[in-house]
Amino acid sequence: MAIIEPNEPAVTADEVSFNYSKLKVLDDLSLEVPPGVSFGLLGPNGAGKTTLIRLLVGLIKPKSGSVKLLGQPPSRRIAHRIGYMPQLHSLYSELSITQNVNFYARIYRVTNRAEREQRVEEAIRLVDLWERRKDQVMKLSGGMKQRVSLACAIVHHPPVLFLDEPTVGLDPELRVTFWEHFAYLTGQGTTLIISSHTMDDAAHCDLLAFMREGKIIARGSPTELQQATGKPGSTLEEAFLYFIHREAGNGS
Amino acid sequence: MVPSQAFTIAVRIINQLIRDRRTIALIVVVPLVVMSLIGLSFPESTVLDYIAPALLATLALFFSFLLTGISFLRERSQGTLERIMASPVSRLDIVVGYLFGFFLFALTQTVIIILFTIYVLDVHYYGDLWQIFIFQIVIITGAVNLGIFTSTFARNEFQMVQFIPLIIVPQIFLCGVIWPVEQMPDYLQWLSSVLPLTYAVDGLRDIMLAGKTLLDVGLELGVMVGFTVVFSILAAVTLRRGAAG
Repeated sequence: MAIIEPNEPAVTADEVSFNYSKLKVLDDLSLEVPPGVSFGLLGPNGAGKTTLIRLLVGLIKPKSGSVKLLGQPPSRRIAHRIGYMPQLHSLYSELSITQNVNFYARIYRVTNRAEREQRVEEAIRLVDLWERRKDQVMKLSGGMKQRVSLACAIVHHPPVLFLDEPTVGLDPELRVTFWEHFAYLTGQGTTLIISSHTMDDAAHCDLLAFMREGKIIARGSPTELQQATGKPGSTLEEAFLYFIHREAGNGS
Repeated sequence: MVPSQAFTIAVRIINQLIRDRRTIALIVVVPLVVMSLIGLSFPESTVLDYIAPALLATLALFFSFLLTGISFLRERSQGTLERIMASPVSRLDIVVGYLFGFFLFALTQTVIIILFTIYVLDVHYYGDLWQIFIFQIVIITGAVNLGIFTSTFARNEFQMVQFIPLIIVPQIFLCGVIWPVEQMPDYLQWLSSVLPLTYAVDGLRDIMLAGKTLLDVGLELGVMVGFTVVFSILAAVTLRRGAAG
């Protein structure tokens, strides 16, 4: 796995705003993600999570504010150092699992053939689809497609990995498997930025940012956020609601 | 631009289409059916000889535009374009990769149409066969890029199909395919002078009917190459990071 400078944040967003025509999607949002952690962006649908991820990977530009990835503005120059798993499966359904993963390995500049074959195998084995590697993607279940999509995102060993709602639509068993993969990746030094709207996912993250209406309303570790409610034994749902009410109180 | 990246994309497109056997069958069969019907509907061989170059140019433009436009739109709607745009691949790599990927199939289709027209429909021609092929290659290269560019403005396949009556059909009526441009009102003649099919039809007619060479049709060839370059640039420019979705 590629290494990030120990003191350098993997990702920073500084007072970032973004809007689709008149709709404000991100509102002066600031964020700093330390390297080697799993960082969860938690919030309801429409909170701006996907827009933030698209902005962080350089697919869209902020209307104001700035973004840095590994200390640099997002650009093609550093694109090979990030992995991106979009919300849609974004796979070529006519191609086999191996062909899909191999394609992404090639465009992410894993040029040495022997190394590429090894990484493709490693990625497919990691998501436990080696036995199905010759199957066309169109013949796979939704959960399997999610796994192929993850393999495509990690095949080039990126130090920073963006996962947009990676567990949506997965059954509980597969969800556990995914979190095992993610723990393995952070163990290898990869920084994960994961968006989700379920608190099940939130509990697995090292750090969380609760998002609502384009803003981050709270951040910290799951335990810190639970303790901030002041009620012993609070769940993350309760913590989220607590911060929503507090934000509403501040706004009124 | 990194040629190996464009090559990777081209190989992926070829692999995708090869594994989609129904599409491959349609790529081969549809032009044969269309040309057979046209051949049967023109019992007078002299009329067919005259109209054949225009049909070859039109079908090359139409099929290449449609094939690329729909495929590229799928790339947008399925999110794979967005995923590629987040990678180190440049816009030019994508356009060139697409061009080469689809070029192979568009060329196959064109070869089938030309050979069928000449050897089965028995259309007479005077120019060299290889010069006819070269001219057709320029047409399909432009059409592939026009398809990519046009797909920018469609959000689904239904919308993409609507571009056929908007972009292809007017050219059939205005570019001398059915009746001579000279017989049209001045303003329509002006319009036809800015449409690529006019030059495609004129150039191919000169080669096939008058036995002219590529050098003789340098103006038409040059204009077609110009259209191709413009469409390539437009296709690359409109592929902004973030254009998808």
